Amino acid sequence: MTATLESDIIDTVAGLDPDSLLAVLRRRRPEALRHTEGSYQALLHPADTGGVTAAERAAIARRVAELNLDTALGAHYASVGAEAAGEAEPGRLGVILNHVDLLTREPKAATPADLDALRTAGLTDRDIVMVSQLVAFINHQVRLLAGFRLLGAAS
Amino acid sequence: MTARNSTAHTLDFTIDTLGWKAWITPVDHDAATPAQIKALSGLPSKLRTIPYSLVLAHDPEALAERVPLFNTIMSAPGGLPVAERELATLVESVANGCVYCASVHGRRFADLTGEPEIIQSIYDEGFDTPLSARRRAIVDFAVKLSATPPTVAAEDIAALGEAGLDELEILDLIQAVAMFAWANRLMLTLGEPVPATAAAA
Repeated sequence: MTATLESDIIDTVAGLDPDSLLAVLRRRRPEALRHTEGSYQALLHPADTGGVTAAERAAIARRVAELNLDTALGAHYASVGAEAAGEAEPGRLGVILNHVDLLTREPKAATPADLDALRTAGLTDRDIVMVSQLVAFINHQVRLLAGFRLLGAAS
Repeated sequence: MTARNSTAHTLDFTIDTLGWKAWITPVDHDAATPAQIKALSGLPSKLRTIPYSLVLAHDPEALAERVPLFNTIMSAPGGLPVAERELATLVESVANGCVYCASVHGRRFADLTGEPEIIQSIYDEGFDTPLSARRRAIVDFAVKLSATPPTVAAEDIAALGEAGLDELEILDLIQAVAMFAWANRLMLTLGEPVPATAAAA
C-alpha cells in the first residue's frame, strides 16, 4: 500500500503530510487521485506537446494560479517554467494569456472571435483544445487546493 | 443561416435537452487515431460521437485522463449522494453561466429526486431560494468554491458539517465543484448551446 501513499502534486502544493487525515481520506477515492495526477502529467508534461511548448504551458498554468490568488500553486508553476523546454515568444504568449484571462475570469463572455485571435497567433485547432484543457484543468486544481486546505485544517 | 451569431447568451436556463454547437471542427470519428478512439472509449457509447467529445479528442492524452476522472467524481459509490453532486454542479453551472451544463445536470437532479421544482426555483429566484438546511449548505459552498478566486472559508466547511455531511461527503463535494470549474470552462469557450432541434440539423 505504500505506493498509493506517495504524495501527488496536490498533496505537495497543499503541504499535506502523506499520513495526515486528509491525505488518507483522499486515498478513499483512488481513481480520482490517479486521474487528477494523470491529468496534470498529460497537460504539463505530455508525451506529445503538439504546438504548445512546455514553457508556454507553465506560463499559462502560472497565470491561472495567480488570477485565483493561489500563491503556492503560482510558485509551483514558476518553478516548472524555470526548467521548461521550449520558448514562450512574447507576442504570441500575450495573445494566449489574454485567452487564459477570459477563460478563468469570465468564460461565459467567450465568442468564436476569441478562437480566431488564437488562430491568427498561429495556434491550430488542436493547440486551442490543448490550451483550453490546460486553463480549465488549473482552475480545477485551484479549487481542489482551496477546498482541501480548509478540510485539512478542520480535520 | 447568415452571420455566425453566438446564441450563448440568448438561451434561458432549462432542464430540457439542448444541443451544443462546436466552434472548432470536431475530429472525424471515422478517421480518428487509435489514441483518440481509446480516449473516447471511456465514455458511454452515445457520448463518443457528439461534437463536444470529438472536439476534446484533438488532445487524446488529456481526454484519456479526464474521462475516467469525471466518471469517478460524479458516480463513485458511497460518500455524497449522486443527486447532491448533481445539485452542486448545477449551481456552479448557473453561477458560471453554462446553460448547456445546467440543462444536463439540472435534469439529472430532477430525474434522481423527482424534484424538478427545486431546479426551477433556483433558475427563477436565484441561489437564495428556500432550501433544506443540508441543500442550503451545499449550494452556498458550491457558489463560493466556484467563484474566481474562490471565497470559501473555514466557516463554510463547518456549515457543511453542521448540516450533516461527513468528511468523505465534503471531499466528494469539493471534487465535484472542482471538476465543473473545468467542465463549465470547456463547454462555454469551445462552442455554444443551441436548441435540440438545431443540434440535430
